[in-house]
Amino acid sequence: MDRRAFLASAAASAAVASLPWRGALAQSGWRSFEVTTRVDIQRPSGVSRAWIPLPLAGSNEWHRDQGDAWSGNAARAEVMRDPKYGAEMLYVEWPASQGAPYIEVTSRFATRDREVDLSRPGAGAARLSDAEARFFTAPTELIPTDGIVRETAESAVKGSRTDLQKARALYEWVVDNSFRDPEVRGCGWGDIKAMLEAKNLGGKCGDLNALFVGLARSVGVPARDVYGIRVAPSAHGYRSLGAGSPVISKAQHCRAEFFAAGIGWVPVDPADVRKVVLEEPPGNLAMDDPKVAAARRRLFGSWEMNWLAYNTGHDLALPHSRGPKLPYLMYPNGETGGERLDQLEPDAFKYAITARELKA
Amino acid sequence: MPGRPLMVLLLLWSCNIMGAQALELADLEGKTHRLADYRGKVVLVNFWATWCAPCREEMPSLERLRQALAGRPFVVLAVNVGEGGRVAGDFMKAMPHGFTVLLDRDGGATRAWGARILPASYVLGPDGEVSFRHVGALDWSSAEMQRRLIALMP
Repeated sequence: MDRRAFLASAAASAAVASLPWRGALAQSGWRSFEVTTRVDIQRPSGVSRAWIPLPLAGSNEWHRDQGDAWSGNAARAEVMRDPKYGAEMLYVEWPASQGAPYIEVTSRFATRDREVDLSRPGAGAARLSDAEARFFTAPTELIPTDGIVRETAESAVKGSRTDLQKARALYEWVVDNSFRDPEVRGCGWGDIKAMLEAKNLGGKCGDLNALFVGLARSVGVPARDVYGIRVAPSAHGYRSLGAGSPVISKAQHCRAEFFAAGIGWVPVDPADVRKVVLEEPPGNLAMDDPKVAAARRRLFGSWEMNWLAYNTGHDLALPHSRGPKLPYLMYPNGETGGERLDQLEPDAFKYAITARELKA
Repeated sequence: MPGRPLMVLLLLWSCNIMGAQALELADLEGKTHRLADYRGKVVLVNFWATWCAPCREEMPSLERLRQALAGRPFVVLAVNVGEGGRVAGDFMKAMPHGFTVLLDRDGGATRAWGARILPASYVLGPDGEVSFRHVGALDWSSAEMQRRLIALMP
């Protein structure tokens, strides 16, 4: 390369590096991570129990689970699977005689960036069976698909014909009409009917992406939430879209997908667009800020995989618990003396989650 | 097994008896082993990884068990999950052992066997059927375990 070409190339690289969401998005390379979850039951009273979400089981184009191991003083530790959604968790039990119950679960997985080419529907792309389409358009306890949800969605998708067009319209609607509310505890439980009725579309990922899922389902577009946790900083220049440290105890994040015939499952994340607006320095960015515009464009059809997917479950009854159902399983849960511990308080509960990337 | 009374660990036994999955994997030297090759023997299939602390903890007991049952129709197949020959081989160089180490490079066999949590061990009788399985670390060389395995032998 001569000097002029080198300079031109260097200038181009610098320009690319300064743009939001720099570089090629869909990296072909796989990255491996190790996530360790340690749970301590403080002040145990009687039998203690814990339920720890495990990485999405199996392999797909963007995720491979590579095994889990546990250590600790539990009397029972068993992988359990939600019968409806297949959400997997480690169920742990300690006897009343155990004075300091603890467990440490180590999980390894590999992942790579995910991007769907929406301009080229493939004739051979997977199609949902009728049963699957019904399943992914059904309501859940907090995500009804009738009443104000359907009325809102029908208004938002007016003029759209295909599922892809409808999903795009709903994505833009959620981005335009919602906001990230930093006061919401955890990730928000996604009570979308209450949000719409109150005309308060503030929330976090558990609210805003559930809103997208509910609106999509209500107009017949198969959709689902995917619950997980951020494990690494964003490589695309977004401080707000990555884990800022190896301690990720509060880095839970859910995303969403919809199914488009001829294309397959399409990743989206309207909640993260609103997170960029609120949190990306210097904060409270305008919607036409280049960083917001780039995120908004990218988060319809792609996910940066600095994130671990756990499951897609809703309304989960924890096995061996008489406590209430969970809207979703994204945090470690615990129980002692028959009382559920506060899953949103890792310091009181207590649990700590750490992540590290495994370099070859 | 430090801090893990055997009585507690025994609570982890699963009574799920199932037919064994096929297993066809290469060892550290590249030689292919098939589960069917060991029909007529009691086989302990142990899924492990070098990063798994309880796997490392229990592995010496697998070797003690192998030595204790030497000369009997018994074999240990230690299946490394997803790490490849270099990582597993380097680890085993520092771990005195006389049992066979197999490589499940893509984790496919591990998934097929349902070994989600490591270590996961399956004991197969001479007929090739799973007699029992255990998830988590265990002192495989205990007298009670030896009696249990000998009772399965033809």
